[in-house]
Order: sequence, then C-alpha cells, then structure tokens
Amino acid sequence: MENTSYDIRQLNEKIHQASSFVDLLQMELGKAIVGQKYMVERLLIGLLAQGHVLLEGVPGLAKTLSIKSLSQAINAKFSRIQFTPDLLPADVVGTMIYNQQKNEFVVRRGPIFANFILADEINRAPAKVQSALLEAMQERQITIGDTTFKLEEPFLVLATQNPIEQEGTYTLPEAQVDRFMLKVVIGYPTKEEERMIIRQNLNPEGMTRISPIIDPADIMNARKLVREVYMDEKIERYIPDVVFATRNPEEYKLQKLKPLIAYGGSPRASINLALASKAYAFMKRRGYVIPEDVRSVCFDVMRHRVGLTYEAEAENVTSENILSEILNAVEVP
Amino acid sequence: MMGVLASPLTLSAQDYMSIKAVPDTMAIRIGEQFKVMLDARVQTYAIPGVHFKIVFPSLPDSFNHFELIGQSEIDTTGSNNVEKVFRQTVTLTSFDSGRWEVPPMKFEVFSATDGSYDSVFTKPFAIDVNTVAVDTSKAFKPIKPLRTVKWLWTDYILYFAAGLTLLAVIIILIWFARQKKVPKYVAPPPAETPYDAAMRQLRQLQNEKAWNNGDIKTYYTQLTDILRVYIEKQFRIPALEQTTAELLQNIKPITILNQQRDKLSGILTLADLAKFAKLQPAPQEHEQCLQTAIEIVEWSKPRAVAEEAKQEGTENPKA
Repeated sequence: MENTSYDIRQLNEKIHQASSFVDLLQMELGKAIVGQKYMVERLLIGLLAQGHVLLEGVPGLAKTLSIKSLSQAINAKFSRIQFTPDLLPADVVGTMIYNQQKNEFVVRRGPIFANFILADEINRAPAKVQSALLEAMQERQITIGDTTFKLEEPFLVLATQNPIEQEGTYTLPEAQVDRFMLKVVIGYPTKEEERMIIRQNLNPEGMTRISPIIDPADIMNARKLVREVYMDEKIERYIPDVVFATRNPEEYKLQKLKPLIAYGGSPRASINLALASKAYAFMKRRGYVIPEDVRSVCFDVMRHRVGLTYEAEAENVTSENILSEILNAVEVP
Repeated sequence: MMGVLASPLTLSAQDYMSIKAVPDTMAIRIGEQFKVMLDARVQTYAIPGVHFKIVFPSLPDSFNHFELIGQSEIDTTGSNNVEKVFRQTVTLTSFDSGRWEVPPMKFEVFSATDGSYDSVFTKPFAIDVNTVAVDTSKAFKPIKPLRTVKWLWTDYILYFAAGLTLLAVIIILIWFARQKKVPKYVAPPPAETPYDAAMRQLRQLQNEKAWNNGDIKTYYTQLTDILRVYIEKQFRIPALEQTTAELLQNIKPITILNQQRDKLSGILTLADLAKFAKLQPAPQEHEQCLQTAIEIVEWSKPRAVAEEAKQEGTENPKA
C-alpha cells in the first residue's frame, strides 16, 4: 500500500516522539564514554537495524566499556568472550553436562546467551569457533544436544579485530564478514578527550554508574518503527546505484576502479545499506530517509564488502578510497 | 691457303678470295684472353655477275685446349667496287699451359646464282700458354682486402630521383584525400552560458506552471536539478553528486553563493521533503520556490562573472 503525504506526516510525528530515547541514551552513554560518539552511534544503528557490528581498532579504545554501558543503559544482559586459539565452540554456545545427583545430562548455556555480546579479537579463534558464533548471529538460535534455544532479543554482537597483530590469527573469510551489518574503524580520541578520560578514570568516586534509560522491549518497538521509516523510490534507486558501482564501476564512468576491485557488494549489502539508512534516519528523528542518511552509513556498511585486488593493495588503495570515488561519481537523487 | 674445287664456278675460290686468321699475340699467360681477327676478301671483278655469300667458320665453345669467349659481328667496312672485305674478331682463352695449335678454320663461299659452293681454310698457328712464374722461396701472401670504391653521387642519382618522385606522389595523394574528407565548415551554435541555460529552464517551468500538473515531486526534482546543474557549471562544484547538507557546506567559500545560503537551503530542504517524504507544500510555496531560485541565479550571475574576471586579473582597477 502506498503511503500518502498524510501517512508520512503522522509517521514522522510518531517517530519523532518514539526516537526521543536515542538522545537520552547517547547522553547517558556519554557519562561513561568520552569521545567515540561515532562508535556509539554505529552501535545504536546496529541495535536498531538488527545487525551486528565488527569493530576494528587498537586495544584500549573503550570498546568493552561502550557495549557494557549500552547494555546497562538498556537494562540488558551483557557477556564478553575473549577469543583465543584454544577456544572451543562449546565454550561459546554451551554444552551438555552430566549431573551425577540427578543422573541426567543438563544443558549448560554458554556466554552467547545474552543480549549484548562482545566477541573480543574474533580473529584469534579457529574457524570452527568463528563459525559457531556467526551461525548464532545469523540464525539467532542455538542448538545444544537435541534442544534448540532461541536467543533473547535484542541480540547484538560486537566483534573486534585488532589490525596490528596479524600473526597467529584466523582471518575471517569474506562470506563470514558479510554477515556483519557494519564494520566500524575507530581511531584514537583527541588530546582534549584523552585528558577527560584520565580525569574520569582517576575520579576517587570511581567510574560513573550508567542508569537504565529504556527496556529491551522499547528497543523491539523501536526496531519495528525503524522498518516503517519511509524510503522513497528515488532512494531505493540510489542504493543499488551505489552497490552496483562497486560491481561494475565502468558503467558509472569509473573505469579506473575496475582493476582495483576484485568483487563488489552483494545484495545483502543493498539490504543492509537500506536498513542502516532507515535506522540512521530514525536516530535523526525523521520518518523518512534522505540521501544524507545513505551516505552517512555507506562507508561502514560497504567497506568490508568491497574486495580489493593485489594491484589495489600494491598501490595502497583502500576500500574507503574506492567508496569515496563512487560516492563522488554517483548522482544523488 | 688450301682450297677444294667442287664448284661449277669457272675459277677456284683461292683465285678470287683470300682469307687469313691473325692472332693479336702468339703467347699468353694462363687464362689470359687473346683475339684472333678473321679476314676474308673477295675480288668481285674476277667473278662478275655472281651473287655469293661468305660463311665464316663455326667454332665450338671449346676446342683443342681453347675456350671460345666471344665472336663479334661480321664487319664489311673497307669494301669497294672491286673487292668485298669481311672481318670478324674471335676472342679466345686457354686454361691449359703449353703450346696449343689453333687448327685451320673453314670459310665457305656459296653462290646464290647457281647454288654451287667452295671452301677455303686458314693456316693453323700455335699459341704459347704460359704459367705465371711463382717464387716458391717466398712466403704466401694473404688475400688482399676488399677495396673501397669511392662514393659518387652520380651512382645514386637515380635512387634519389625515384625517392623524390614517390614522395611527391604520396603527398599529392594525401592532399587529394584530405581535400575530399574536410567537411564544410559549419559555424557552431553559440554556447549557452550556465546562467542563460538556468534562466531559460526556470522561465519554462514558470510558464508551464509545472506545479499545477499534480506531480509535485517531479516539479521539485526539476527545480533542484536546474539549480544544481547551474551551480556545477558556474562554480565548478559537483552539486549533482552532493547531498543538500554537503552542497550547503561546500558553497561556503564562494561568497556570492554563500550570501544566498538561506534561500538555497530553504529551497533544497523543502524539495527534499517533497521528493523523499511526500510532503505537499502549500500551493503558494511552489511559485515562491521558483521565484527564489530565479533570484539566486540572478544574484550570483553578474557577480560571478565579475569575480571570475577579478581572479583572472582582467578587471581594470581604475575603471
């Protein structure tokens, strides 16, 4: 059914009211996390668009603190899994344990049974463990023995990768990386932000306590509203244009990019770009998507979905460079 | 001279014909050529009214250690009313050392009048063919190197002439080919300036009252496209590839456009709402937006030109 102007105005007002918690949430998180607004914003996009986030950054950039604070602010369960080479799938999803008193096997749930999971240094665990986690991410359910358990919603995985130590790691294959809605690259805080971090950490009263702002149920309602955000057909055409430009750059007068791209974004990239744009529009308290929303999330949605050739790597061309070229060439509606 | 009488002629051949074979030398070095002049004279007064032919000896290529190199044409110069003279020079050589005899050579005289013939033989003579004296007490000398022949421009004049002719032909052919291909010059239509194009399109929208067609989204799309194309061409900002926020940010360094920032922002924001949020602006807003767009283009055009001229240094500060 086509939306009328009246429907969209109503939707806009509805979303304007419903999204008010986003500002409150960001303010609350800001009490504990200094700087890193970009990362927090992307976490919320993942949360609202029902996608998972892959975070790349050096240690000590408040990744754990961010997701822990987010879970506290939403009053949700949080667990952290440190991925190591000797980790087993059972250590993540859980296993069956024999109970001698009752003379039966009982299920012992793994740390994945939480709302927010921090999969720290995901590339340090072998493929079997990565696969177990990524399957849970995709299916949102776990099977232990004969029993299948639905994972509690909201379910958000924040996986981290350390870009500097690559020895003894198991790089995530392209097909697995594609399951993350966003890949966020975070950098160091500014000097002023770092000064505030020192002050906050040396506070004799300890770290600021995060108060719950909303419930997981509110997040579920917000997710429904995110999907209702109006996306005009002009935007619907703009999104495939951007994704297709990564596959066939020559059709967008970008012949020079052809030898640099090994493979472009999949249809999952288009779906996630649309969903993330809607979530971004929701966070900006709008009931409709504008091209700015698409461009704002484009790098995070697309950077891990554009494969580079050896030629590109030899020339130090990054996927961000390629995406910049594409966004500067594709006409905005 | 020997002759065989077998002719109905009343006289024998040696009575009216004398022949001789005279070598130019009696001794040659091995391989050296020498000439033998064959001479036959016929006293015509002795055989009045007789038509005759002299047949010179036919020599094989090789005979008696001699090799035939060549024979000249028969020369009859020196003939007169009383005597006919026939001469031929034969060039011979020999590659065998020793004394070799050139055998008698047969001349035949043939009467065309009655078909009779007679023959006369030359005297044989010997030629000494000597080897080259080699002093074997001395060492062998190497083969002489190649001798460079002096360059003479006359040797190559034909090649130069042929080359120049070929070049001239090619040039003429190219010239003809180009003459045919060069299209007639058609004066291009005068290029429309970004200002003219934008104003023409905006006036067209105004005259058509495009907002009355019911498709508000298309109207605002056209309106913003005209403005974006104008900004792209006039100020070289890639406006078509930028979002509203990016465009408003990027016009900041261009003062004349930045002065119209609020107006531009108003149009683009309203257009975004119409395009992406199905907003139906009030009817008076449609015309107002168009009027504002015309104002922006009018405002930025003359100043843009003046500023460009100033940047290029063509403006006269005293004027």
